[in-house]
Amino acid sequence: MLRLEQVSFSYREYAVLQDITLEIPRQSFLALIGPNGSGKTTLLRLISKVLQPRSGKIWLEAQPLSKFSARELAKRMAVIASDQHFEFPFSVIDVVAMGRFPHLNRLQRLSSKDWEVVDQALKVTCVDHLRHRPISQLSSGEKQRVLIARAIAQQPSVLMLDEPNSHLDINHQIAIFNLLRSLNRQHQMTIIVVLHDLTSAAAFSQTIALLHEGKLIKTGSPEEVITTELIRQTYGAEVEVFPSPLGGFPQVAYGPDG
Amino acid sequence: MENKNGVSGPFTVPPSSRDNLILLTMTTVVVAGLALFLGPIGLPDRYILLNVRLPRVLLGFLVGCGLAGAGTVFQGVLRNPLADPFILGTSSAATVGVMTANLLGWHNYYALYFMALGFALSSIAFVYRIAQTNGKAPIQTMVLGGVIVSLFFNAVVFVFFSIFYRDSFSILFYLLGTLTGGDPKLMSISGVFILLSLAVCWAMARELNGLTQGEETAFHLGIEVETAKKILFVAASAMAAASVAVAGMIGFVGLVVPHMMRLVVGPDHRWLIPASALGGASVLILTDSAARTIVPPFEIPVGALTALLGAPYFLYLLKQRQNAGEF
Repeated sequence: MLRLEQVSFSYREYAVLQDITLEIPRQSFLALIGPNGSGKTTLLRLISKVLQPRSGKIWLEAQPLSKFSARELAKRMAVIASDQHFEFPFSVIDVVAMGRFPHLNRLQRLSSKDWEVVDQALKVTCVDHLRHRPISQLSSGEKQRVLIARAIAQQPSVLMLDEPNSHLDINHQIAIFNLLRSLNRQHQMTIIVVLHDLTSAAAFSQTIALLHEGKLIKTGSPEEVITTELIRQTYGAEVEVFPSPLGGFPQVAYGPDG
Repeated sequence: MENKNGVSGPFTVPPSSRDNLILLTMTTVVVAGLALFLGPIGLPDRYILLNVRLPRVLLGFLVGCGLAGAGTVFQGVLRNPLADPFILGTSSAATVGVMTANLLGWHNYYALYFMALGFALSSIAFVYRIAQTNGKAPIQTMVLGGVIVSLFFNAVVFVFFSIFYRDSFSILFYLLGTLTGGDPKLMSISGVFILLSLAVCWAMARELNGLTQGEETAFHLGIEVETAKKILFVAASAMAAASVAVAGMIGFVGLVVPHMMRLVVGPDHRWLIPASALGGASVLILTDSAARTIVPPFEIPVGALTALLGAPYFLYLLKQRQNAGEF
């Protein structure tokens, strides 16, 4: 569904990403991990066409990404960017209805079918009870769920998120990841997510891509990527990886030096 | 707390935008009607009514629409509730455009208008560029840049004024913003530009809504951000320039009115743009009526009065944002 061929990107002279080749099949749940400055957010911005690669090609549904207009792209991929502004008191339902924009012509009003999609998105993300509240008044966890609802209202086949769990308490983090997991499983959505937190990456994703200094070090299942050796090497931290007591995925442990 | 909509929790009932817009239209008509008949001495005769009051009310309507419309669009595109053509220096730039055209002896109305527009556009582009860092234009830098640009152009205006217009009281009046002496031809040209630009912005209301959520987010919602921004900036500057060309620098209408209207119809630009236009018209017609009647037989330039009322409101908004920790 998404394919990157030898993609490189640089800011002026400084190479941020080098020679990334990556295949993202339909309905995968991919986590992009790597230490600060490894280029994971840049990679997400390339895949979502906010940035254009210096060299290499990106393909979406067997067509070059550069061929897609903003509108055509927005019908296929929803992205929750890190620049969120809540200057104006739009209500939750207004924000979620903005997800229908790529499906509407100029001056066309939302049909009852569009409103059904919006309603469904509000329900799936459990923010239905907040529908008339101004989004600026919500907590971070609630805001994040509203943004996911807006993304769902776009009816995309790919959903991309940049650290959806930052600033969230652990209960909200788990709720967000379970929501993503059910979108992935029940709604056949491809999920691509940039993560800092290795534990949630290992627990919830199917595939992990590990980046280090602009290069793709390894792609594979959580067991293959999150190993004591690889994490020590890339993050430069004394960690120990062991199988989680909850079973089936690796977990990273660390403590004070010595 | 359970209310009749079956929704619990602390909750604000969304304003019924349509009803409020209808109410606003009626208010505008009533205000315009009152302004026609409001005067220092009894009822006006037919001549005054048709040849003095009516053009003035019409001009107030157009300029009010233009200033408040421009303010609404600037605020939306810049995600900055303190933006306004006056604060950002666009109005002063347009004034210099008008004066330059005059000095060059271009008495063609279109030339005059396009000079105003040209100056307005370059100044807003300049302010935006100096404020922009990492793709964002922080509100403080933007306002500060606007004030500096404004001071600069005001200085140019006064240089022109002292050299070329030494004796002309009417130019001073124009600089302070006034609805008197509206040239019918310039008024109709400005009117066409204001109403056309308003229509363009209204047709792009959804893009504006998207842009308020952040430019990257707008792109991810399917909006061609750069194109949308350019069209909206040009249209908003056209409204501001047209207003300035015909009525001088009337400040704070573009700042205050969109705020008031967000409380009335909410932030959705499909409602907010027409509401701001009508609100701006009502506010300006009302303020102008006050300006010409509160100290008879004298008349205060309406721009002076809007600034006297608008500046404290601006400070209040600034303080409120500060308290909310948004600065």
